[in-house]
Amino acid sequence: MTQTLKALGQLALLWAIYLGSNWLVKVTGLPIPGNVVGVLILFALLALGVVRLAYVELAADFLLKHLVFFFVPIAVGLMEWGGVFYDYGLILAAAILASAVLPLLAVGGLSQLLHRRQL
Amino acid sequence: MGVTIFAVALTLAAYLATRHLYLRFRHPLLNVVAWSAAIIICVLVACKIPYSAYVPAKDIMTALLGPATVGLAVPLYRHRGLLLRFAPAILGSVVLGALLAMMTASLMAQWGGLPRDVVMSILPKGVTIPFAVEIARIYGGIPALTAAFVVATGTLGSLCGGWLLTLARIDNPVARGLALGTVSHGQGTATALMEGELQGAMAGLAMILAGIFTAGFAPLAVWLLGLLA
Repeated sequence: MTQTLKALGQLALLWAIYLGSNWLVKVTGLPIPGNVVGVLILFALLALGVVRLAYVELAADFLLKHLVFFFVPIAVGLMEWGGVFYDYGLILAAAILASAVLPLLAVGGLSQLLHRRQL
Repeated sequence: MGVTIFAVALTLAAYLATRHLYLRFRHPLLNVVAWSAAIIICVLVACKIPYSAYVPAKDIMTALLGPATVGLAVPLYRHRGLLLRFAPAILGSVVLGALLAMMTASLMAQWGGLPRDVVMSILPKGVTIPFAVEIARIYGGIPALTAAFVVATGTLGSLCGGWLLTLARIDNPVARGLALGTVSHGQGTATALMEGELQGAMAGLAMILAGIFTAGFAPLAVWLLGLLA
């Protein structure tokens, strides 16, 4: 019971940071999503010691364990967009293939090089 | 009201069933998002329920996505030691990877003559869904299409990523983790975790950082796209 209450309190804190970040993005007009700003703010608060890991980790770990659940309803939206794959399937497949293989090898190659130099 | 309760129950059931299946076999092709969505769409179509009737259920179920995404700062902070230790390798390669993924995907889509909303939907497809969807939204992309492109990229990377890296003689565990996480976000991270703990941790870091860098560099990518139109 206390664990549940604790998790709910932590959820409220995460929510407050999320809402605050969205507000910040709106006010400044920055072309960056509020959730990205939220991650940066929470990381900064943790790094500065303002927020301790123990204040958020119960709720964060539970939500992250089931993060994929939240993606499902978004993907159901494809119901309305099936036609795009009929019309442009080949180009889309080529674009996805190229944009996966090229960065994969670039990131792997470059980080291996930088990592070796560092050692 | 009744439809919404049915839609929530259906979504939960599909998620739990596909998750159970994935945890049992851990194969990249058993992707939870893709199979859950496929099951739900089939049931909705069979019951003649239009997408518009599913939207209230979607809004209820995704209400916690924002705070959950903010929670990604927790693993980032937990691995701050690794982040500092491998800072040059991580920052250099993840920035390069995020830029390359964005430019390759969106340029090919643009040159292929796809409409602008589809081009903007494919632009952030290398990063995890909550970031990708929000980045796409800023530039007029379609969230559901972005989600599909993200899952396709993730599945591709987790199916062939390890093999391709081995083929290119990239054997360093830090490099392999970074490459899988940058290109294939959560799905790549799951694959990297199977290779080892260090690979998994690096992939998890790369996934979150790729999201942040992609968001940061998206204005530049969109501007470049405009120049090359």
